[in-house]
Amino acid sequence: MSDPEKNADAGAFLDSLREGVGITSAIRITPDDVNQPMIRHWCDAMTDHNPVYTQPEIAAKSVHGGIVAPPSMLDSWFMIGLAPRPEQLSDEGKAVGMLPIITKLDTAGFTSVVATNSTHEYDRYLKLGDRLQFHQSITNVSAEKKTALGVGHFFTTRTEFMDQDGESVGRMDFTILKFKPGTGSIPMTADAGAAFAPKQRPRPEISRDTRFFWDGIDLGELRIQKCDDCDSLYHPPMVRCPKCGAYDLGYVVSKGRGKVYSFVEVHHPQFPIFDYPLLAVLVELDEGTRILSNLLGVSADEVEIGMPVELAIRATDPELNLPLFIRARPARRETTLLFEDVSAGAILAPCPVSITPTLIVGGAVASRDFQDVHHDVELAKKRGSPNIFMNIMTSGGLTSRYVSDWAGPDALLRNMKIRLGAPNYPGDTMTFSGLVNSAELREGKGIIEVGIRGSNRFGDHVSGTLELELPRRQEN
Amino acid sequence: MTMSFAGKTAVVGIGATEFSKDSGRSTLRLAIECCDAAIRDAGLSPDQIDGMVSFTVDVNDEIDVARNLGIKELRHFSRIHHSGGAACGTIHQAAMAVHSGACNYALVYRAFNERSETRFGAGVTGGSGGASPVMVEFGWSLPFGMLTPASWVAMFATRYMHQYGVTSEDFGRISVADRKHAATNPKAFFYQRPITLEEHQASRWVVKPLHLLDCCQESDGGRRWS
Repeated sequence: MSDPEKNADAGAFLDSLREGVGITSAIRITPDDVNQPMIRHWCDAMTDHNPVYTQPEIAAKSVHGGIVAPPSMLDSWFMIGLAPRPEQLSDEGKAVGMLPIITKLDTAGFTSVVATNSTHEYDRYLKLGDRLQFHQSITNVSAEKKTALGVGHFFTTRTEFMDQDGESVGRMDFTILKFKPGTGSIPMTADAGAAFAPKQRPRPEISRDTRFFWDGIDLGELRIQKCDDCDSLYHPPMVRCPKCGAYDLGYVVSKGRGKVYSFVEVHHPQFPIFDYPLLAVLVELDEGTRILSNLLGVSADEVEIGMPVELAIRATDPELNLPLFIRARPARRETTLLFEDVSAGAILAPCPVSITPTLIVGGAVASRDFQDVHHDVELAKKRGSPNIFMNIMTSGGLTSRYVSDWAGPDALLRNMKIRLGAPNYPGDTMTFSGLVNSAELREGKGIIEVGIRGSNRFGDHVSGTLELELPRRQEN
Repeated sequence: MTMSFAGKTAVVGIGATEFSKDSGRSTLRLAIECCDAAIRDAGLSPDQIDGMVSFTVDVNDEIDVARNLGIKELRHFSRIHHSGGAACGTIHQAAMAVHSGACNYALVYRAFNERSETRFGAGVTGGSGGASPVMVEFGWSLPFGMLTPASWVAMFATRYMHQYGVTSEDFGRISVADRKHAATNPKAFFYQRPITLEEHQASRWVVKPLHLLDCCQESDGGRRWS
């Protein structure tokens, strides 16, 4: 086939993809009322402890006057779930609302999917008992693009959400890339597996005296030896309490929080089983004992003695779990920042997120996203991914949690615009950082825009902006 | 000329565990139990012990033994080659150390699970072997990429710098002095090659905060003092 014929073919395909652009779907009703169980699942998965989502007494006294749903949950209310039930199937046997463009792209070999951009606008927070309705349209379909993930087409949908009275509550522009697996470069393709090939670190030699410690690590807890007689704590473990002479030694489970007592940056000699420069730390746990470990997700120029850290037990290969540490998550602000106290240029304290399989799967399920790439390792690999990876709704939920934990429970999120880059795979650490881009009064409201990024080992997983309304100082 | 020290020192305490075919305890635990018993038998407290003697083949490190017993200041430690065949050598060594004034009370110990873990033939038949206390200690650092003396010392160095306001240049002055002396030694690898503080500061990191020129070179060679 000559080039002009190819181009004509590609043109015809693109035209067929764009057939539905601009056509608004019929209004459909979301499956469930806005309800506490789904909100609780979401908050648990995201570890979002803002009390306005789950604690009625506190929510009643908040700016909302009662329980509200996390705004970033917006699109989870209309997700179909694990599988369409009979009443959700169209005459053709497809899920009602399934966009024809998806079938066309699948048929043409663009079978892999990844969400790349999500823009939420919130007119109001959703309350328990709200029942959303929505309609959807495709607003844009790109020509074929060569991306790092593979050759594919981007398309954007606009979804308008209304409440039970037909009043607008928010909208979403959502862009996904449908691509041909195996046509891109790292980090999405299976080649990226090399970066995740287990690096077999030296095994700790374990004796009868230290078995309890390593058994604990395998169970996900950091055990500190404790003398049953005088309560003294020891690490590394003893066989006899040197303070009181007892041989009966038990343990307590550490809360996993501590501070950097000392640290080094290992440069030489280098071994392929470690990533260099390697940050090794001596952590002084809050319980008082010290433990040697590595600090993840922190660069050497950021670490300092006294820096708060928290435990992150990780499988460095399938047979070895190690007690590693990450930067401590900043405390959630309980009294909301006032607009007058925030100015452009203010920096948000960095916040780490351990990318565990539990977080990825839990976040996907809490957002009713049952795409196999978010929970099934083998199927994810068949689709060209080295492992399961985080879905965009979890990225959004964590992003809004980061900013709302910084701003306080009464901050109102007005919009959130995020763009995804490097995938979040299990075993990684994503670190959020943020900056107040602007703070200005609009119609008497204190509006700030916060720019955020969440970086993992490959680069920026998520970047974007969030607009919030902060309470104003009451003048007497 | 030889100097007799017979009758000048004494065994003041004896301790032992039970003897069995399977102790059910680690070698370190056995070492601690027998030392503990000997110290109590002598009517001493662990912080009075300031000397230690064992066999070179014993796997219970002096640091582990001291740490578990609560020994504070160890002024003498030495090891005797061979094992049971040189048992008297350990007592002899301890007696000399006490008599010479190197220490006041020397602990002489030997503990292992010879039957249940390191029975003859275990090495070729794949016996359990048991965990060596020294390797157990390494287990707290090796999995974290702390594989070299430089990495272990650097961890102390960072804290030392933080606590006492010492700088890398302060460390560098020691290296400069060492190399100044090496430069005068025709057999030294760095003969006639002294360094400056600037060169020390400019040398690459081995384990930050330690530069290359904070670390000794690994060299082949032999030396004796007489």
